[in-house]
Amino acid sequence: MAAVKRRPSLAAALLRLFAVQGSYNYERLLGVGVGVAEEPLLRDLDDGKYRPAVARGAHFFNAHPYLVGLAIGAAARAEHDGAAPDQIERMREALCGPLGSLGDRLVWAGWLPLLSGLALAAVALGGGWIAVGAFLLVYNIGHVALRWWALQAGWTHGTRVSVALHHPVLQKAGALLGPAMAFAVGAALPLSASLLAVPFPRWAQWAVLLTAGACFVLLRWRGDRVNGLRLGLGISALALVVGLLWQ
Amino acid sequence: MNLPIELLIALLVWGTLVGVDLVSLPQMMIARPLVAGTVAGAILGDIPTGLKLGVVFELLQYDILPVGAVRYPEYGPATVAAVATAHASAGVLGLGLGALVGLVTGLFGGVTINVLRRVNSRIVHAAAARLESGDPAALVRVHVGGLLRDALRAALVTIVGLVLAWLARPLLAGALSPRGALLLAVAAVAAAVAAGSAGTLRLVGRGPNLAWFAAGLGGGVAAAIWLR
Repeated sequence: MAAVKRRPSLAAALLRLFAVQGSYNYERLLGVGVGVAEEPLLRDLDDGKYRPAVARGAHFFNAHPYLVGLAIGAAARAEHDGAAPDQIERMREALCGPLGSLGDRLVWAGWLPLLSGLALAAVALGGGWIAVGAFLLVYNIGHVALRWWALQAGWTHGTRVSVALHHPVLQKAGALLGPAMAFAVGAALPLSASLLAVPFPRWAQWAVLLTAGACFVLLRWRGDRVNGLRLGLGISALALVVGLLWQ
Repeated sequence: MNLPIELLIALLVWGTLVGVDLVSLPQMMIARPLVAGTVAGAILGDIPTGLKLGVVFELLQYDILPVGAVRYPEYGPATVAAVATAHASAGVLGLGLGALVGLVTGLFGGVTINVLRRVNSRIVHAAAARLESGDPAALVRVHVGGLLRDALRAALVTIVGLVLAWLARPLLAGALSPRGALLLAVAAVAAAVAAGSAGTLRLVGRGPNLAWFAAGLGGGVAAAIWLR
């Protein structure tokens, strides 16, 4: 591998990463956004290498948006190191699945519902807008840190980027976030229901409990056909018709 | 809903920002209903209503795991419209009507996301030769075009939501008895709690985390009873 004389500034790529899904489409998924974010890291390449590298960067790509930086940094480093185009394409393809599943587990099924559950519980306990502000602040400390780490780790490891995926902090975070999320959202559900149903008379509170139970069974039983939106619209329409008739 | 024009513009701007945050830029979670609702409430000078509708749609949001190219409703601008509706109608009537307007807006928002992705696909397909040439200007143009289209889409969803909010009170509020209004609120809260519970259980699975979920649920029930 040829030594890289100077690391390009990662800041421009990081800023562009925040908009990596801006042109999300069913043909290349995140590909165009990935190409846009990678482009500042490729500007030091020779004329003959720059354009093919930019074109490769915009090919099909899909992963968790917060971890895409890992692939971008690694691909850019590989381009600077003179790796073969086939090898870079294969590395990108190989990263899609792991980056997607790791990000989904850490963020969509861990960090986000954990903090959302804590915020819901705090609002129900009287935390008000401060709880919501704290949610935004703490969430984004983790969000920005993860994006920055991913980009740096990708650039550092290049084609050996799979090493970064086994970082002990990621493994430990994955193990801790699952139980913490389950506990926090478990506590938030009854507290939120209580907050919303407190102004109701006793019969309406029982009606909430029974209706929610029936809806829950339906969602578990026919989750392939029914989702929260359809269910909400369906029973709201039913309640509206009954409410209009029951004067 | 008769709001001064400056408040309507502020809600439109906020709904657009929230809609863009969901997927495009910067995914900092202002699109979460709890945040979208609280700020919409603050714009209207009615944070408690914003928080309540935010809680309803935050629970509904648990039903969604945005993995891959999955299709889902859009609850951010929907929550803004729901808060605008609820602000105009006090108490349980506001909760029920707000949730109904928000659900319809969320459905519409989800459809527009799918349409936008199809439009983006056609544009990317048409630009394939320029993208394959490695022209950075063409790449940025295609990408920024996608961002701008998403901003227009989010603004359209918010406008539709605010129009529904404006129509809801004259069309429905007068026709509903207090019992009817209560039924609508019961339906909204029940659907939210059920969707939140079912969605969380899907995340938790049947492994060891289920015990943590049960412990949290028990603690939450105890706290809710104690607070009463």
